[in-house]
Amino acid sequence: MATQETKQLDEIISSRRAMMLMGGTALASIMLSGKAQAATLTDNDVLNFALNLEYLEAQFYNLAAFGVTIDKLTTPIPVAVNGGTAGNVTLKPAFTKVPFSNPLISAYAAETAVEEGKHVTFLQSALGSSAVSMPKLDLYNSFNTLANAAGIGPAFDPFASDAFFLIGAYIFEDVGVTAYHGAAGAIQSKATLGAAAGILAVEAYHAGLIRTAINALDAGSGTLAGLTQKISATRSKLANPSGTPVDDIGLTTVNVSLNASSGSFAATTFVDADANSIAFSRTPAQILSIVTGGATNNQGVFFPAGLNGTIK
Amino acid sequence: MEKVNELIRKAVSRRTFLAGAGTAAATLLAGCSSTSSGGGGGTTPPPGITDNDILNFALNLEYLEAEFYLYAATGKGLSSADAGTGAGTTTVPGSIAAVPWGTSGFAQYANEIAQDEVNHVRFIQKAITSNGGTPVARPNIDLTFFAPLAVAAGITTTPTFNPFLSPQAFLIGAFVFEDVGVTAYHGAAGLLTNATILGAAAGILGVEAYHAAAIRTLLVGTAAQANDQTYVKIANQVSALRGTLGGGNETTLTTGSIVAADTTNAIAFSRTTDQVLHIVYGAAGGAGLTKGGFFPNGLNGKITATAS
Repeated sequence: MATQETKQLDEIISSRRAMMLMGGTALASIMLSGKAQAATLTDNDVLNFALNLEYLEAQFYNLAAFGVTIDKLTTPIPVAVNGGTAGNVTLKPAFTKVPFSNPLISAYAAETAVEEGKHVTFLQSALGSSAVSMPKLDLYNSFNTLANAAGIGPAFDPFASDAFFLIGAYIFEDVGVTAYHGAAGAIQSKATLGAAAGILAVEAYHAGLIRTAINALDAGSGTLAGLTQKISATRSKLANPSGTPVDDIGLTTVNVSLNASSGSFAATTFVDADANSIAFSRTPAQILSIVTGGATNNQGVFFPAGLNGTIK
Repeated sequence: MEKVNELIRKAVSRRTFLAGAGTAAATLLAGCSSTSSGGGGGTTPPPGITDNDILNFALNLEYLEAEFYLYAATGKGLSSADAGTGAGTTTVPGSIAAVPWGTSGFAQYANEIAQDEVNHVRFIQKAITSNGGTPVARPNIDLTFFAPLAVAAGITTTPTFNPFLSPQAFLIGAFVFEDVGVTAYHGAAGLLTNATILGAAAGILGVEAYHAAAIRTLLVGTAAQANDQTYVKIANQVSALRGTLGGGNETTLTTGSIVAADTTNAIAFSRTTDQVLHIVYGAAGGAGLTKGGFFPNGLNGKITATAS
């Protein structure tokens, strides 16, 4: 256990060093090595990329908490904008919202649903006439495919229970953090950067909340924590097909040394961060790989027809 | 509809701000008006303030956080190597020892956060050195300030609050810091010029938000389990005090509102260095404040005095 953790940390440390050595050039080339071949990404390209991800998150949480897509809320959030056509959302047959039994988890779902909806509205507003419509989304086959890939089983329904909802949420939140973190360096406008940093923080609040809730519900059994480790490993592999670096850490217990030269204080990894305790960062190409399940044409899993906008 | 109009108004004012960026920055410098929440980062550093000055500002805050969590986790503070040459002293409550965690299960959270904050201290020290600067040593820190802070917040009538005495009190102590860290890094993001440093700061911002969320979730979760909202109420009294000292930028913690963010757009709050200084010095009152509260001799570095 300790050996495995040490090895993983070593990998992270060495990858971090490698990344710092390569510096900006490497990051820029990684960014442009995906399907996003635009010579120069504008702030609007980056914001539209974020908008696609926010559509996905907003639909997931609003369906989980309220049982409807965001365009069917009492105060609807438009999904077709600027004369565009919105894709549909694929759901399981006879879909209903999560049958929450724990009022705390129900409240978390509702809060997150509202906040992700506000992110959609904010980005649409910030982008104005440049905003893209919602692409086709899949919240049914996607989870089954990912579960299979992660070795969780042939099927996974995040709308089935409190625990499964939290695991479904887990799939998204840390990814949101790494996406905004990776995008920060590509944003030109200081005001846009400030807003993106503020959304990054909220995604990290959500991620911290979800991890803390999963840890509480797991209550030391390791069942749910084990699922988070499988999901984190899968995300890391999709973002880094060669297997290194490892840029994702699931819920587990590690030993930390704190203020001693060596020590064994047990810590819960409720923070998804590197060996310097800095949140991981991913390029748009890496994010695309995660949300489309590594499909070569970047069409698959959550985005069966790809994303809308320049970065796709 | 009201909300949409508000958003449009905000978007328009943002464009106006962008158009007049230089002027707006000049106004900030001259008048030091408080910034609006939400957008954040749209400011320009005062002349002569470098990335290293901002990193050193952050380093002071990380020393404070690291000391708090290390004492909570181990009963001891930073090693002399981590505190830096010429480090100040840290004042702690008498008979300090690790928090008696009992069956709370919070120790593993405290240990994780403590290690993160130590890592932040070490990382920022190295980042400043790599960037050709000199990291400041730990300033004098006073961890007994929680007691008068609790009186100022209306939590107690006498200065007796000690965050190291129980798991619940620890959550309140942690609550005092984490959201402030988020707003401080958010505010700093717009001031940094070096893209690599900005990327690191954004990553630390993310980690502070993970911490803040865990503390807030534990507070409401524990309260629900025990059917006792006492510590949530106390946290909100702390929040109200931070709001008074730090230009608002707070939301009430409830079961249905864990994230601290602007309710119009769900974007985390942002604070200027002045607003952060007022909070950690524990005093309102405009320009010229140079020390107090958690930092009895002030911060080390260039950003130490409030300009507004």
